[in-house]
Amino acid sequence: MWSRTVANTVTYLLLGLGALITLAPCLLSVQTSLKTPQQFAAASPFAPPAPPSTGSYAALTVGEHTLFPPLVITMQVVIVVVLGQLTCSVLAAYAFACLDLPGREWLFRVYLGTLTVPLTATLVPRFVLVSGLGLRDTFAGIVLPTLFGSPYAIFLLRQFFRGIPADLLDAARIDGAGHLRVLRHVVLPLSRPVLATLLIITVVTHWNEFLWPLIITSGERWRVLTVAVSALQSQHNGDWTLVMAATTLATCPLLILFVLFQKHIVRSITITGLK
Amino acid sequence: MGSRGFPVRRTLTGYAFLAPSLIGVGGFLLVPVLVVIVLSLHRWDLVSPARWVGLDNYAGLLDDLAFWQSMLITGMFVAIVVPLQVVLGLLAAVLLDRRLPGSVVFRTIFVLPWISAPLALGVVWRWIFDPSDGAVNRLTGVRIEWLSDPDLALPAVAAVTVWHYTGYVALFFLAGLAGVPAQYHEAARIDGANALQTFRLITLPLFRPTTFFVVVTSLLTTFQTFDLVYAMTRGGPAGATDVIASLIHREGFVEFRMGRAAAMSVVLLLLLITVTVGQQLHFRRRTTYEVS
Repeated sequence: MWSRTVANTVTYLLLGLGALITLAPCLLSVQTSLKTPQQFAAASPFAPPAPPSTGSYAALTVGEHTLFPPLVITMQVVIVVVLGQLTCSVLAAYAFACLDLPGREWLFRVYLGTLTVPLTATLVPRFVLVSGLGLRDTFAGIVLPTLFGSPYAIFLLRQFFRGIPADLLDAARIDGAGHLRVLRHVVLPLSRPVLATLLIITVVTHWNEFLWPLIITSGERWRVLTVAVSALQSQHNGDWTLVMAATTLATCPLLILFVLFQKHIVRSITITGLK
Repeated sequence: MGSRGFPVRRTLTGYAFLAPSLIGVGGFLLVPVLVVIVLSLHRWDLVSPARWVGLDNYAGLLDDLAFWQSMLITGMFVAIVVPLQVVLGLLAAVLLDRRLPGSVVFRTIFVLPWISAPLALGVVWRWIFDPSDGAVNRLTGVRIEWLSDPDLALPAVAAVTVWHYTGYVALFFLAGLAGVPAQYHEAARIDGANALQTFRLITLPLFRPTTFFVVVTSLLTTFQTFDLVYAMTRGGPAGATDVIASLIHREGFVEFRMGRAAAMSVVLLLLLITVTVGQQLHFRRRTTYEVS
């Protein structure tokens, strides 16, 4: 019994230490964002803001450094990419899982092979291709490379679709349903868990995406949140209360989403990971 | 099956379903691999016409100190980050797997950094490591130039990278631990094994597929780290944190030497494909006798 108590105490101590290291930087940055530059300069970074000030947030929402346009663009990018990517991936996965096609297995293997292509290595050619289409510094340029489905999503969906009993699909077809109807009324309703998983992964990935929007856009017109925060940081280096408010604003929407759908997201990550 | 129609029509329908993804996978994954190879054989600044130079860009890389330094730094960065991430992630998973009250809260907290944009977190850490206003130096009372000292910058960025991904790694190990049947542990305990022996002799061997997945993912992501480096140091001081992704970005999109950037990309591509294949062979050899 005594050794169990010791083990439990050690477990809690280590978990607590881990939680402290994980949270402290985030909490300190939120705390700093609520100070005025004078308060920040005068007191220790660990002292709570007295009184809390929302000056930085005012400047970042309605004031001169407004992050509102980047927020809107980020949301548009995420919505367009999520809809495009999921639709195209569902169509492809249905063909791979449920349709009898010549060259199907061969093509699927090619798709799988592209999973090993590191995105950083294709940055330069993707830039050249999108520029060649005349889409540099446009909304289309930001979303185009990821709009038409991802091999990862296709792979995951195909695995799931193959688990759906063929009798169910045949029954629907005998009743005269075309492929799109079968897909919409039989396959998709059964696939809600895997669709939710992909939805979450895609939203997180594209909300946080930085390198591609950084290189394909220039100037303020099509700045997404991550690029805007980075620009703000270089322009106001040292103005930490403002910069910390910006990082808080940029991460908050996803964190709220995460806490709300915590259970689902944790399950999603592990499902997609263990394939 | 009668309503399926003619094979030609069936084939056309099928490929109609595949068409959009063929644009995506073909146009933005396969074609770029070919384009990057072709580009690496040219000199091009995006303005004047591209000029064929054969293998000059690769020959140039051999003499380029910045490139070799970047390769070395990337190697060191990976060598610090991946083992730490895997060991700490495993430790966190084992602790969470004891399922004491409150474990779910800890699990949620550990994943928070992974949900947040690395760029934003990098900016937060840039402040925390700031020599005069930063939390670390204010806490210790010593003025240390964390991010502008060439000896400290790489370990600092590596530590933040570990901080960022460990919770994510822990989730995978946690799922793997849940897959180890409880009766194995029971049997080992009855045979008189202590907790450490059970872990080493039962859990770890059954864990190989999870470990494989985690190590490969961790290697692939760490080799491509960009956002955190960009936010914290921009590759500085004096190239001390100039990992390969940071160098490719600067060559291509700051200096506009597309051919050189493409040659570096090809090297990265070959390196990462070797890592994936090598890992696969290694783990396949060691898991042949495993029950799966």
